[in-house]
Amino acid sequence: MNEELDSQLSAMFDNELPAAECELLARRLSRDEDLKARWGRYAAIGATIRAEGGVRLNSDLAIRVNRVITAEPAVVAEPVGARPQKATTPRWWTPVGGAALAASVAAAAILFLRYEAPSPGGQVAAQAPPATASQTLVARGVDTTQAAPDSYVVPKTLPRRSIVPSTQLANYVVAHSEFSSPVNRRNLLSAFMASESGTAGAPSGSDEPTEDVSDDAKSPH
Amino acid sequence: MSADVSDLSLVRRVQSGDKGAFDALVRKYQHKLVKLVMRYVRNPAEAEDIAQEAFIKAYRALPQFRGDSAFYTWLYRIAINTAKNAVVSRDRSPIEYNIDRSTDATEESYDMQGRMKDSETPEGLVLTDEIRSTVNAAIEALPEDLKTAIVLRELDGLSYEEIAAAMDCPVGTVRSRIFRAREAIDRRLREVFEGGLGRTEDMG
Repeated sequence: MNEELDSQLSAMFDNELPAAECELLARRLSRDEDLKARWGRYAAIGATIRAEGGVRLNSDLAIRVNRVITAEPAVVAEPVGARPQKATTPRWWTPVGGAALAASVAAAAILFLRYEAPSPGGQVAAQAPPATASQTLVARGVDTTQAAPDSYVVPKTLPRRSIVPSTQLANYVVAHSEFSSPVNRRNLLSAFMASESGTAGAPSGSDEPTEDVSDDAKSPH
Repeated sequence: MSADVSDLSLVRRVQSGDKGAFDALVRKYQHKLVKLVMRYVRNPAEAEDIAQEAFIKAYRALPQFRGDSAFYTWLYRIAINTAKNAVVSRDRSPIEYNIDRSTDATEESYDMQGRMKDSETPEGLVLTDEIRSTVNAAIEALPEDLKTAIVLRELDGLSYEEIAAAMDCPVGTVRSRIFRAREAIDRRLREVFEGGLGRTEDMG
């Protein structure tokens, strides 16, 4: 063991070694058992000089602690760089980012509203299929829970209500088309559609489930 | 120079997963900690148990240690709390050592008995006395400037700068004197540890 290293060890023991040298020596000290034994004897020398009464200088305390520590997982502190740092984003980016976020939200809202609004040509396509016999029973409030399986049933998506010209309206328009102007035909058609929309949600003949049944279906058994 | 720079470098190593660095910290502070705990308990073996518990608590809590205070100050607080809790729990339920090792003898209870026996054997006491007398004899044999430097450092706790002012010499000279004093004492001490009674090295 060279004298310079021992001198450094002595100074490090007294917390008098420069930080850069401490880093290097700490690395070596943690691995070199001879160096560590010498380090431990320096501690015993100090304890003896201070005449620390009751202290057993031949104590195996360090060995026992080391035995417990060895059996444990190594502790690893969270590195400082891993913490979230606010200063990493440039300041000029904050208002620009806010504006971009607001614009994105507005665009998404417009797209959503356009998707939700009924398109004029899609009304006929959105017409629901005719109700089946069982669905009609449900709509009338007949108890069908005995036939239902004991499992969670995903409620049926409610078909979108649409205003659809009835057969009566279509026949009327065709019959009178050759005697009326296009403007009158359009006005008449609008009036019929308005009158038809008032009866579109009627329970009789509708395929929409009633509120009570849909609630039962939602509740898991 | 920061008063805690070497401890902090060892602490940082432990925090990066190096258990050997914690061993160095234990070796450095074990005597101080046992002496501290002995303010609360009289039995050296019990004081060592409490010190051991304090060291292990400190190891487990080390990821949270940020270095805002000195490591020993932090360790000191842990040891004081551990000692107080141990005294309270001991007063509530007196310690009874199970001497029947044949039935359900865990390693912990085995160790406890072993340590109790070690602390009370004449061999253990002789070794401690021999270390003490060896160190004292080595200090007496030192040249006056080396003896003064090591005593001012270890007994009075002065920094190198304060010792340099007291001895009217450069800080580098103080560092050299303290190192040479330690080397001279350690040479004698090594003979004790390695000459048949060196059980501290063998018990690992």
